[in-house]
Amino acid sequence: MVTDLTETTSNSETTAIEIRDLSFAYHEKPALHEITLDIPARQITAFIGPSGCGKSTLLRCFNRINDRIPGAHLTAGTIHIHGIEINRPDIDLQELRRRVGMVFQKYNPFKKSIYENVVFSLRLAGIHQRSALDDSAEMALQSAALWDEVKDRLHSSALGLSGGQQQRLCIARAIANQPDILLMDEPCAALDPTATLKIEELLHQLKEQYTIVIVTHNMAQATRCADLTAFLYLGKLIEIGPTLEIFSTPKDPKTLSYISGSFG
Amino acid sequence: MLNPELLIRKGLPKGHFKDRIVRWILGATTYAIVIIAALLFLKIIKDGAPVIFTSKAPFVNFEFLLDKNETLHVFDDAQGVRHQLPASAYNDYLKGHNGVPIYNQQTFSYSGGGIVGPIVGTALLTIGSMVLALFFGVCAAIYLSEYAKQSPFIHAVRLAILNLAGIPSIVFGLFGFSVFVLAVPVITSAPSDRSWLTIPLFIGDMVVSFQGWNSSLIAGCATLACMILPVIITASEESLRAVPQGFRDASLAMGATRWQTIRTCVLPFSLPGILTSSLLAITRVAGETAPIMFTAAVAAKDDLPWESLANPWDLLSSQVQALPYHIYTLAARIPSSEYTQRAQYGSVFVFILLVMSLSVGSMLLRAKLRSRLKW
Amino acid sequence: MPIEISPSPENPHRFQRRGFSCERAIKYFFASNAGLTLVILLLIIVFLLKEGLGFFPGYRRELEIYRIAGLEFVDISRKNLTAHEQLSSVLNRAYFAQINGQCARELKRSQEAAAVFNAFSDQTSATRELIANHEATGMDRGSEMLATLNNNHACQKQKALDSLPLTPHLSDTERAELIESIRARDVTTVGDPPLVTALAQQYASAQQQCAMPIAEWRSVIDSFEAAGADLSALVTEMTDAVTTTKEAIQNNDILENDRKSLLAAAANAKDPSERQKLMAEARDSLAEKPDIEGPMQSLMLRKPDCIATHAALRQACEGILAMLPPSLSQSDANRLLLAARKASPLFLEALTGTSQQITQWRHDKPVPLSDSIRSFLTGKDWVTGGAWQDFYGILPLLAGSLMISMVALCLAIPAGVGAAIYINQFASPVEQAVVKPVIEFIAAIPSVVLGFIGILIFGTILRDLSQLDGLAWVPGFPIEERLNIFTAGCLLALMSIPTIFSLAEDALNNVPAAFSEASDALGASRIQTTFRVIIPAAFSGILAAVLLGLGRVIGETMVVLLVAGNRIKIPDFSAGLGTFFQPSHTLTGIIAQELGEVPLGSVHYRALFVVGILLFAVVLGINATAHKFVNRTTN
Repeated sequence: MVTDLTETTSNSETTAIEIRDLSFAYHEKPALHEITLDIPARQITAFIGPSGCGKSTLLRCFNRINDRIPGAHLTAGTIHIHGIEINRPDIDLQELRRRVGMVFQKYNPFKKSIYENVVFSLRLAGIHQRSALDDSAEMALQSAALWDEVKDRLHSSALGLSGGQQQRLCIARAIANQPDILLMDEPCAALDPTATLKIEELLHQLKEQYTIVIVTHNMAQATRCADLTAFLYLGKLIEIGPTLEIFSTPKDPKTLSYISGSFG
Repeated sequence: MLNPELLIRKGLPKGHFKDRIVRWILGATTYAIVIIAALLFLKIIKDGAPVIFTSKAPFVNFEFLLDKNETLHVFDDAQGVRHQLPASAYNDYLKGHNGVPIYNQQTFSYSGGGIVGPIVGTALLTIGSMVLALFFGVCAAIYLSEYAKQSPFIHAVRLAILNLAGIPSIVFGLFGFSVFVLAVPVITSAPSDRSWLTIPLFIGDMVVSFQGWNSSLIAGCATLACMILPVIITASEESLRAVPQGFRDASLAMGATRWQTIRTCVLPFSLPGILTSSLLAITRVAGETAPIMFTAAVAAKDDLPWESLANPWDLLSSQVQALPYHIYTLAARIPSSEYTQRAQYGSVFVFILLVMSLSVGSMLLRAKLRSRLKW
Repeated sequence: MPIEISPSPENPHRFQRRGFSCERAIKYFFASNAGLTLVILLLIIVFLLKEGLGFFPGYRRELEIYRIAGLEFVDISRKNLTAHEQLSSVLNRAYFAQINGQCARELKRSQEAAAVFNAFSDQTSATRELIANHEATGMDRGSEMLATLNNNHACQKQKALDSLPLTPHLSDTERAELIESIRARDVTTVGDPPLVTALAQQYASAQQQCAMPIAEWRSVIDSFEAAGADLSALVTEMTDAVTTTKEAIQNNDILENDRKSLLAAAANAKDPSERQKLMAEARDSLAEKPDIEGPMQSLMLRKPDCIATHAALRQACEGILAMLPPSLSQSDANRLLLAARKASPLFLEALTGTSQQITQWRHDKPVPLSDSIRSFLTGKDWVTGGAWQDFYGILPLLAGSLMISMVALCLAIPAGVGAAIYINQFASPVEQAVVKPVIEFIAAIPSVVLGFIGILIFGTILRDLSQLDGLAWVPGFPIEERLNIFTAGCLLALMSIPTIFSLAEDALNNVPAAFSEASDALGASRIQTTFRVIIPAAFSGILAAVLLGLGRVIGETMVVLLVAGNRIKIPDFSAGLGTFFQPSHTLTGIIAQELGEVPLGSVHYRALFVVGILLFAVVLGINATAHKFVNRTTN
């Protein structure tokens, strides 16, 4: 592992995402207020909070997918990924999104074959060698723990898979790019408990290679998976700390009342 | 991360030029369509507007709109002055200048006078066919949206609507000709030779004779109504379904019958929508030529439809001129020259103005409706 | 009387009674209206079939008469005669194309000078005639009128001089000279200006000069033309004979039909005396069978004569065609020559085969019903109302319809789908708000107006464009006919663009946002997302849009009737892309054009209904396929 050797060089190697005083708004309506946060590399960080608290918005700032929404814009603050400010004008947006993969709440594979779904991003990057594509596809599907289930029907439609399989296919599609960071926006919200369990197991394997940021509604899931948990409320970061601490001895009373289930 | 600096691009983004070129080509295609359409309109407006509008008050050339259609006579008198006169004025001129020779005479059919005949004919055809189509169409839509359950009958009806909507207009012309002109029953005392079935009524010598309505206003209206029926049904059903289910449930829960519910709680709310979409149907009915060519239209007619009728009902069985058919005649049957341009471009301009105002009206109404009716 | 309120056994409960008859009746009333659509569709099908199916037996009888009267026999020879005429016309065209190509400059100069002078005389000739008239009759109305006329003439002259056509091939001094000579003209001057005459002479001498080196070829063509004289005479002679027979048979058919209807009337008549009368009338009208065998036998006696003439023609032509030059310097002429070279072996082969055809031909070979169906579906001629023989072959109409649709779709698919992609993916909201209504506006233009635009505006623009020197490289330019397949295709494209645009835009709009979001998140650029994710996902919807557009194009009547040129002939495909600039006729156009003129119930009338059935089936098939695609997207 490379990290062990370079631990001393700079904090950009241990901190994947550095957020400073981030404020964000949809048109005139503010969504995030002055958020400052460090997300460590190769760990799972979970964002929790009630609906509409801005946790998804924050997550979607990291690969600037919010740019798609008309009127959504950064009002103040910076986001550095491995030391690079990602809102600077000369950023290569495609490269950024390739380095920061994303998995959405509702699984959304393309209406193509399983294989074509996985190699989609590679084809975008201009890789057309059959062998390279095959290798990457196998690697990605194996990392997503899907290989054994689909290796005999790689060329059948992706829409024929079960919900959990489709979501894992989306994860495979995201990691086929070999990103550094994987953003997951409530990846298990549309899945049944068995499929959820599989995804959670997968997260544990993936964290060895990737920095993972996950938004979740499900506090049990946060306790099961996350190393670090951040609690957001009304667009503000209330508290962040190791998961165990947050759930056992929260510093802020709002966190306490949220995790004890009095609202949200 | 291997090399975060890679996130910063050098120079222009990758594929920048490709992106630009694709956008540019697609945009150019789009605007080419818009520009071609605009140019064609401008040409018609440029040549047609001077016929209708004048610079002096009342700014509209009512003569063109209100005069009957006549043959145009063009000739020089002995002074070398060129005259352009419609047939009636030409005859007066000849009477007035008894025996004085005229030179270089040319005649242009359909090019003199005005176009009141075609305008009136189109109005009659449109009103007649819309009355028929709205009545039957809205009733059918009520059945489909309020009463129908899944059944083979409904399935067949929906399939029929879908298919009727796709039939070419000339096939409707054939259909109207063979059915309404030649085969539908009439009550008469003197059946024609081509009647294929006569049933005696035992009232005097009256018989029901299946001999058709001949080429007539009513046959044209019926043909057009059949053609537009699927459009009306689809649009009406849509507006009926747009009325929230809660209205019906509330009414039924208060003990109203199904019909009372429809009459008081569904129809009033969907009527604006139905009428708006039928405006769009009017533009289609008014613009169609092929279905009326053999069922109702004539190229030339001296009287307006209601003139010289023995009784008012004969209006239905008389042939009419129609604006689209008139334009067809002007475009296909007479040569284009400086003397026919007035009739040609003038008629087209009036027609376009009519159709466009209807379709703009329907667009505006639809927009207004959308903002007003929100449940 | 007191009103009885309490329920009785006859009147069951109030609620039940209310709900019954009235509500049920209303429901059935509405249901019957819905059923009306079914009735209409059934009526359409039934009446199309009722009128259309009678066509095939009727056409079979016509084909039978064609055979037993011997017309078919004459047509064997006539076919060769036509081929011979066509071949010599191609050779002649090649000859003149060669000459005119070589002196194109002189031709254009002469034409332009003449055009200038004509523009002037068109404007002034009327007044000039009046003045001449005035002087000739020596009218005594005084010089006042003459002065008016002279003044008019001067005005018209000035007006004409102000708007003379362009002369790109004349030098400036030449043009000035020409204008000056026109200006100097008096009312009484007759004859052309000197420059016009000189240029015409130049052209004539250039023609002569160019004709000199190929004089030998001229004589080849002349002798080829002359070789057909014998066959032509023979065909004319036989034609007269068989036409008489045909008329006799047809008259007999008519009489026979009358007799049958008389007999039918007699069977229906109630009054015995009237029945007797009708029967007697029918018996009287029993016509003598026309003599078929006599003329036929004399026709058959001509067989050896025919064969001999054909053999002679073949021998003559073979020798002559071998003397054609190998190639020509002018590209147009060369193309025609090549066409002639290609056609000549086929022509000779046909001549050889003819003798066998003639020997084997028999007038009493039966004509089965399948022959009439085959002749309709594969016939290359749609000839009606002629004195010789009517043929109802669908191919020329089908070819016209298909080629026009092809042009229309080739233009409308890129334009409509391209605009849909642009508006849906790249355009700003303002652009969307402007462009969408404008394109929907085009849909509201009545088709007859589009036809009008085509006939009066677009066709003329296209022809003028095709005559520019700079565009001469376009195949088929300069076009001969202003109304042709291409003109009609362009207007139909304009008509189908709104259909294709709106439906394709809907299809693109229906692609879930999740797809493009996922693609963006994977690092795709805007056009990658559009072309690799959104368009493939909307593909079947776009295909449906194209098919519905095709259905509209094939079924459209007024535009093609006005603009396609209405020549009933299979286009000459040897012209390459220039084929698209030939006039043509269509399935829809033929119905619109001929239905008003045919006698009810005649074979021709029924043929039009068969065309209608075909159209109905084709369009419904296309629409059904399209709806299948639409359903595939929505599910």
